[in-house]
Amino acid sequence: MMRLAGLYALAAAVVVLPILWPDNYFVIVVGASAGLHVILAVGLNLLMGYAGQISLGHAAFFGLGAYTSAILSTRFGWPSLAALVASLLAVGVLAWLFARPILRLRGHYLAMATLGFGIIVHVVLVQATQWTGGPDGLSGIPPLNLLGWPVDGDLQWYGVIMAAMLLVLWLSLNLVDSQVGRALRAVHGSEFAAQMMGVDTGRAKTQVFVVSALFAAFAGSLFAHQQAFVSPDSFNLIVSVELVTMVVLGGMASTFGAACGAIALTFLQQGLVVFEDYEMLIHGALLMAVMIFLPQGLFVGLHQAAGRWWRASSRRL
Amino acid sequence: MARVKSSSLSADRSPVMTAFPPSTLPLLAVTGLEQSFGGVMALAGVSFQVAEGLIYAVIGPNGAGKTTLFNALCGFYQPAAGSIRFADRELLGLPPHRIAACGVARTFQNLQLFFNMTVVENVMVGGHLRAKTNVFAAALRLPWVRRQERCLRDWAIEALELCELGDCAHHPAGALPYGLMKRVEIARALAAKPRLLLLDEPAAGLNDTETLALRALITRIRASGVTVLLVEHHMPLVMGVSDRLLVLDYGSVLAEGDPVAIQTDPRVVAAYLGGAVSYAV
Amino acid sequence: MPEQLFQFLVTGITVGSLYALVGLGFALIYNASDVVNFAQGEFVMLGAMAAIALLSAGLPLPLAAVVATLATVAVGLLLERFAIEPAAGASVVATIIITIGAAIFLRGVALLLWGKDFHSLPPFSGDAPIRLGGATVLPQSLWVLGATVLLVIVVRTFFNRTLLGKALLACAFNRTAAQAVGINVKVMLRLAYGLSAGLGALAGILIAPITFSSYEAGVMLGLKGFSAAIVGGIGNPMGAVAGGLLLGVLEVLGAGLVSSGYKDAIAFVFVLMVLFFEPTGLFGHKVAERV
Repeated sequence: MMRLAGLYALAAAVVVLPILWPDNYFVIVVGASAGLHVILAVGLNLLMGYAGQISLGHAAFFGLGAYTSAILSTRFGWPSLAALVASLLAVGVLAWLFARPILRLRGHYLAMATLGFGIIVHVVLVQATQWTGGPDGLSGIPPLNLLGWPVDGDLQWYGVIMAAMLLVLWLSLNLVDSQVGRALRAVHGSEFAAQMMGVDTGRAKTQVFVVSALFAAFAGSLFAHQQAFVSPDSFNLIVSVELVTMVVLGGMASTFGAACGAIALTFLQQGLVVFEDYEMLIHGALLMAVMIFLPQGLFVGLHQAAGRWWRASSRRL
Repeated sequence: MARVKSSSLSADRSPVMTAFPPSTLPLLAVTGLEQSFGGVMALAGVSFQVAEGLIYAVIGPNGAGKTTLFNALCGFYQPAAGSIRFADRELLGLPPHRIAACGVARTFQNLQLFFNMTVVENVMVGGHLRAKTNVFAAALRLPWVRRQERCLRDWAIEALELCELGDCAHHPAGALPYGLMKRVEIARALAAKPRLLLLDEPAAGLNDTETLALRALITRIRASGVTVLLVEHHMPLVMGVSDRLLVLDYGSVLAEGDPVAIQTDPRVVAAYLGGAVSYAV
Repeated sequence: MPEQLFQFLVTGITVGSLYALVGLGFALIYNASDVVNFAQGEFVMLGAMAAIALLSAGLPLPLAAVVATLATVAVGLLLERFAIEPAAGASVVATIIITIGAAIFLRGVALLLWGKDFHSLPPFSGDAPIRLGGATVLPQSLWVLGATVLLVIVVRTFFNRTLLGKALLACAFNRTAAQAVGINVKVMLRLAYGLSAGLGALAGILIAPITFSSYEAGVMLGLKGFSAAIVGGIGNPMGAVAGGLLLGVLEVLGAGLVSSGYKDAIAFVFVLMVLFFEPTGLFGHKVAERV
């Protein structure tokens, strides 16, 4: 099962780390946050890296998933699992409706459309106070209840999010390595040729758009229950940009690359908080530096460096 | 329950016929095709027929409308008028992926390989229409998906071997020499098991050795039962391998017939072939 | 009611002029390099904030404006030299992220220098509203409109009549060919960034007396300017101007007639509508791909 070797290794790491360092803030809390980011980044990577589209508004789906779960479980008293399923359905339908017209666009026009979508959703989240609680957000979200077991406490949330992350990674790896995935990559490689192979490119792009939105909504629902609170600040343009950065940083067209980028950026942001007033300045400088010096992405760069080291050391033997 | 068509690439075709009885329906019947781009009449009422099992070449000077014809046949352009009947279906107005589903495959003049994939992955995409695709099943990697993957890989290797590319299967598609990349495109088109294969200038950029290999490949393709429609400038290749030719000039049909007739047609000679040389048939 | 509409129109054109100038800056850089510079809004913010700072340091307003503009031009040139040029071969997405990083960086610098407070400039010629056919217009709005017209004419003349302007356009059409005829593409690119920064700074200084500036003022401005450029068809400078004006008018109409809280959403809904019906913008070049 070489195909899934990376996934098994990651699963092992996920289990071992909290045993080695129990009650460690960085492992349990930041790790959980990284896990959510991995889910978001892997989904976005399917859209950007494999299908070659761009989305500067992905935080909107994250937010819609979070708020749908939040509203259904607080204002309507739905059980949390039902709210999660409903939020997946709602976001899926919305993404599907939005995808068809938007995916006819190319390049900067597509970037603008996704950007616009993200901003519209954010404005609605802020303005529709009746439903969303406005700029102050919604609090008092009940805990996630997995068939009788309420998820409570950092360690339990770490477990749930890590399981979700591994599931999403597995689904994504399967997709990429299937005819569906190859058809997607074909659309990116040459839309004309893909069409002549019988690939309905419009439908393929719509499908991957919906899948990436579903992953984001899934992460959003988990986030809402974990934090017990949602506010529009967590789903704005900056977040969308961060998600794109994670994908590009990790190396596009690589599921593990996106995961790496998500983990790296999450820990980087944690480190930056110490700098207070200088945080924004350093954040911007770091973004520029990484994109200038590692444009092919961390994961691909490390992969190539590891490959070179491996070849060099096997020559010496 | 098996959801996969498991026929192999070259098994189930009837032997080629060099002359067709007049009552057989042509595989492809194009009538009065018109296509213009902002005032320029690229195709001015083109009509021709291609019988099944033949190698049919379209020749003519640059700008005569050959690639426009191919693009119109494949659905990338929507002709203003005319009809394209394939077997007994009307292709005019269909989008490219539906035309492909009818059994038409093509290669491109300017290489359109999927450079983000390996050679075998490129050819596996060619088998797309022979596979069943479902996002949920693929994400969950259900047993039938796994079986289908194995079949797709086998079909791809078969097509690669027909084109003598078996050794390059796992190379990135962009890492091959130009001549081999062109052959990968042909393998990819063959993996779809088409009834009609459109080759758009397959010899462009190839040296003499590669062109001879291409000629042999086209002959092998015809022997496996695929009808070939060929646009090409390389006259020795065209005259050597084709059964019939169509000569286009300024978007109209100038002449149509077998290689000898075309080579000796004074209008064709004047417009395109330019005189003294005759090509071995 | 018509009076109110006329008022909206006037305000809308004023706001639209601002978007037009920012959009023009986007178009300039895109024309020279195929890159969308997401730090464009920050140039506007820097021009305004620098002018305000220089004014409170004692410089007379005209001098403060000039120095602030030149300083922002310098920032633009530095940005190109140290962030864009080193990444010359990078993909479009990577370059977009670099400009976004630059935008965040410049915002961070502004935050450090000037904090989170809001500032504004005094109006250039007083703030006694002028009655114009039933609507009230601030004198500053007339400055904005007049300056926009002037700047647009200057840019248009630059592109159509000067050799330098044509050289810049040549870089966008075909970089290799431009190099082959001896155009120094690197210098052209730097020029484009410098010009865009200057345009942005001037826009910021013009609008500062009407709106409040802060370190975050550039974000939405940049986005609206980008929208203007897109609506007009990216790469078409005059299209960007038209797009900006249209966007400004529709936004103000939406804010006035529908809801002011949702005005940003209304603006972007308009942009999306345009894109749905005209995928390459209102005046964009339709690209026919050769197969």
